[in-house]
Amino acid sequence: MTSPGPAIEWQTALGNAKLCLPPSHVIRDLLSTGVCVRCIFRLSGIHDRDCYISPINESELISFLEEQNEIECNSTTITNCCVCLGVLCPSCVVPEKSGADLRERSSVNELALLISDMVKGEQYQIDEFSLEVSLPPVITANERALRLYLKQKYEKEQWFKDTFLRVHISVKDTLKLVLNASLENYLAVQNVETLSSSFRIRLTYSHSETSQKLQSMLPNGHDSKKREKGSRENGSSKNCNEPDASAYRVLELIEDQNFCSQFQVPPGKVDKPCQLVVACCRTPTYIGGRYLKYSRNVSQSRWIIDDERMGETSVEEIIGENVRQICQGDGYKFHSAGREDIDVRMLGSGRPFLVEVSNSRIVPSSTEIEQISDKINHTDKQLVGVKNLKLVGAEAWDLMREGEAEKQKQYAALVWISRPLNVDDVCNLTSLKDMEISQKTPIRVLHRRSPLERSKVIHWMKIEKVEGTTQYFLLHLCTQAGTYIKEFVHGDLGRTHPSIGSILGCRAEILQLDVTDVKMDYFD
Amino acid sequence: MAENAERSEETLYKPSPKSIEREKQAMEEEPKEDLSSLLLPNLNDLPQNPPTAVKFNFSRYFLPDFTKPGHDQYIYRHANGLCVIGLAQAHVALKEEGGVTAVDFNVGKSDRSELKVTGKRKRNAQHFESNSALCKVCTNDNFYIVRCCVKGSLLEVNDRLIKQPGLLNSSADREGYVAIIMPKQGDWLKIKDSLLSYEDYVKLRGLL
Repeated sequence: MTSPGPAIEWQTALGNAKLCLPPSHVIRDLLSTGVCVRCIFRLSGIHDRDCYISPINESELISFLEEQNEIECNSTTITNCCVCLGVLCPSCVVPEKSGADLRERSSVNELALLISDMVKGEQYQIDEFSLEVSLPPVITANERALRLYLKQKYEKEQWFKDTFLRVHISVKDTLKLVLNASLENYLAVQNVETLSSSFRIRLTYSHSETSQKLQSMLPNGHDSKKREKGSRENGSSKNCNEPDASAYRVLELIEDQNFCSQFQVPPGKVDKPCQLVVACCRTPTYIGGRYLKYSRNVSQSRWIIDDERMGETSVEEIIGENVRQICQGDGYKFHSAGREDIDVRMLGSGRPFLVEVSNSRIVPSSTEIEQISDKINHTDKQLVGVKNLKLVGAEAWDLMREGEAEKQKQYAALVWISRPLNVDDVCNLTSLKDMEISQKTPIRVLHRRSPLERSKVIHWMKIEKVEGTTQYFLLHLCTQAGTYIKEFVHGDLGRTHPSIGSILGCRAEILQLDVTDVKMDYFD
Repeated sequence: MAENAERSEETLYKPSPKSIEREKQAMEEEPKEDLSSLLLPNLNDLPQNPPTAVKFNFSRYFLPDFTKPGHDQYIYRHANGLCVIGLAQAHVALKEEGGVTAVDFNVGKSDRSELKVTGKRKRNAQHFESNSALCKVCTNDNFYIVRCCVKGSLLEVNDRLIKQPGLLNSSADREGYVAIIMPKQGDWLKIKDSLLSYEDYVKLRGLL
């Protein structure tokens, strides 16, 4: 032996595990077939993590079981297990780290360290994490092949009938069992089992050599065409999820006899272990609130025609970019409850909005939220403002969209008419309650919307005189969501009726429009 | 008056290190009062006669004597490319005693008022040439054919003219429009330079 034997915990653990393991002639058989020590443990139903992190190798296991004290120390550690393809084996998964003596340090910790360095390098702030493992379907096939082999050979033996049929732990669960504790240690946060944490660490294993063999072996003609097309387009087969899903489906359906005729039983040895890609990502972070737009030259969303930007900037960019920056995210998406034209101001209560930040490195606390608010509200040019900014959950999107058509909006329009305003006009307009109007799709949007006639409701109207004028007045109105206000004032060549002009019996024009209230329960 | 309101607003609130546009920052703290003052316009900015919605939103072009003398028509082109077609002020039909008495869209091979264009892409719209007939406009003694003026898809005809032909007499330039056509960019560019601007048309016909 090149180094002292396993530490005390491992020895105790292994001692206890001995009872679960099959007899040593079976172990020798498995080892010579190319099954690694850890796969043997998990197939025997051993749950003790200490067994898996002990750096025991094949010959040591044999000597341990047969209680020999003399062993030959030149048998190499199986790095490319024929079942797990190296996923559970000590040395394979870590990229070449010079001088690392894998007998001395558990490779699980190597991997955990790699992951935690990645997390810290990206400056993620996390409270918890979830581990996602993706394995190639060929491992499932290997497992099945091995079990069929054992059944064929040992089904008459007592140990097989007693325990082996009932217990085993999957490769995935074993990896998680082994890795989670190390990760918890390095990351100093808890693991959450059921993928409900917002921070996901994804380990994607792939083994192109056997996966390709599996694909061509299984009887799925159209699927292999799909895979070919897929790999031509994507370049590497490990990116395609479709071949994996279809492979699992086929494996489920295929019967043992058929399987044995197609697949090598027991599974054949492989030259190389699996390749691993580690990625970590946070699920989207949502920040919601209400925005105000003070400028008549700012569009709501980024608006570019023929490389030229319309307007000075956009609400989306001002708010989205500031949120993204402070959350340290990769990108953002801006959603709002409706929108207003570039030349219409959004005042009063403000319009509800949601910013979806992808892969944010931090989850903002109330301090950071306040920072975002201050940054937006105290720029030199006060083009946009925000209020009631807060962190919300993913359900906020649905809540915002809920009942959109019923939401009422309030506006103030500066109207000019072709004759002086009189008392009757004021009475006329203010007495109209819940008036139905019919609007053909306005000409200004007719190029991109369906030509329809839409019925809308004007709930109420109020007139505010503009002192010093006779033909100008401020029209305050509350309407159903989706009403085109400008067209309601000037009539859109008669395609909206009734209109202010038709009601008052003269020509009416709109000079300015402001949204003064968006009635919504949420985001208040 | 609005200016005075702005100045007095400034003194009501705490002075800040920032510059003059404080009223906007104060908006968050005192929404109602500020809102009213924000909404009121500056009297000096209000013109006596503001531009009409048509003038503001469209570019107005004119075709005098289109296919026949006296058949003056207009094309109002929106920034989005759509063209509103109608009878120009000096169209001979509008000068007749009694003016326009009836409008009939059943000309050429189909009744234009029966077309139904649907969908965002408007794929089922009928394509017409610039000299295709849109409708027949009748006066007491005569009738006149109104044409498309520009090649394109016919999106809509103003079917209100069927029941209210008088719209042509009272407001041919607005509610009395005849049709809306969607030309392709190339087809529009072909005719654009041959059209008259509003000012040139007014000069030509000696109007106003």
